[in-house]
Amino acid sequence: MTSCPSVRVFVLLWCLSVAAAHAGQLLTPVPGGVVAPDFALEDSDGRSYRLSDYRGKTVLINFWTTWCPPCREELPAMNRAWRSLAGDDVVFLAINVGEDEDTIFVFTADYPVDFPLLMDHAGEVIARWPVKGLPTTFIVAPDGTIAYRAIGGRAWDEPALLDLIRGLGQ
Amino acid sequence: MTDRYVQQVVGAGHRRLGESDMGTSLRNGGVLLGGLLLMVPACAGVRHSVNEGNGLRSWDLTDGDIEIELIQRLPDQTRALFLKYAFSREVIEQLAQSCMFQTIIRNTGRSGSGQAVAVDLTRWRMRHAGTTRGILLKEPLLASWSDADASPAAKLVVRWGMFPTQQTFLPGDYNWGLTAYGVPPGAAFDLEVTWSEDDRPRSASIGGLVCAPDVDRLK
Repeated sequence: MTSCPSVRVFVLLWCLSVAAAHAGQLLTPVPGGVVAPDFALEDSDGRSYRLSDYRGKTVLINFWTTWCPPCREELPAMNRAWRSLAGDDVVFLAINVGEDEDTIFVFTADYPVDFPLLMDHAGEVIARWPVKGLPTTFIVAPDGTIAYRAIGGRAWDEPALLDLIRGLGQ
Repeated sequence: MTDRYVQQVVGAGHRRLGESDMGTSLRNGGVLLGGLLLMVPACAGVRHSVNEGNGLRSWDLTDGDIEIELIQRLPDQTRALFLKYAFSREVIEQLAQSCMFQTIIRNTGRSGSGQAVAVDLTRWRMRHAGTTRGILLKEPLLASWSDADASPAAKLVVRWGMFPTQQTFLPGDYNWGLTAYGVPPGAAFDLEVTWSEDDRPRSASIGGLVCAPDVDRLK
């Protein structure tokens, strides 16, 4: 195959197109300026968080459970991303679906997370968001609209992805 | 993850359209015929693996921009998951005996076209013991349980733990969830999976799937 120049060119172009497509796979843009559904939820310490209080900031909303393998897999990278973005006025809120305080407390012994873990005990908040499976993550722009979404886990601490999130606040 | 597995290619480049077992399927489900004949020919590969650590088997189909991985799940794993929640014993046993597979579906974006991949589990067909039928879906299961069978919190685990019946994936998107087939532990069956890529229907067959055995059959 490599003896044929036209085939080599084709293979090169194909590789470049796949690489370009991969770069676009980080997050999926959500067009149309869909306003993120507001919610008020508590964390396991009883502190209340309301999404609309963060208007003017970029907010990452992650829906997860402890029994979801890719949720567990992405949380450490998400925590590193949160640390990397600490000076960028970006808020992370991870919403656990249907589990109790004890379960989350035990889980965080193995998977330490520094940003708020909120509890959607009855699944009422997730029902109002366009979620089909877990994990699903949304990036809410400072104007309150959903800018990006990711179905399945991501390597949240990838520099290109961090730049994408930072870019929303500029 | 795959490097932990003993890998064995069982169907690279193979498709079952036109083979005799497909003929059986079509006799049993005539509606399927027209749809399958219209589907775009594909270069499907099914890789069969055995996890060296726990002996569980998996089947991994790669075709076009989709990857579908089905991993055996022991009935006891299913019992362990659902025992934490307020299900009746009957429901837990119903779920444990329903031949669940951990299922991962991914849009690999391999073609570089950026096309969407859509999956509708209501269109998947399984062949077992001479009959062809659909797979178990979460909606009828949830609807069949009273609050005594499953509390609202318990139902949330099934709602979010079983694979979505319909879902669209853009490149890079993937999901994990349980799929259930309603045949006994240890049973073997063939599965016809369908999906669409930018609204073009596609299908492929995963032959010789085997439900994980129950604990009394483990060696």
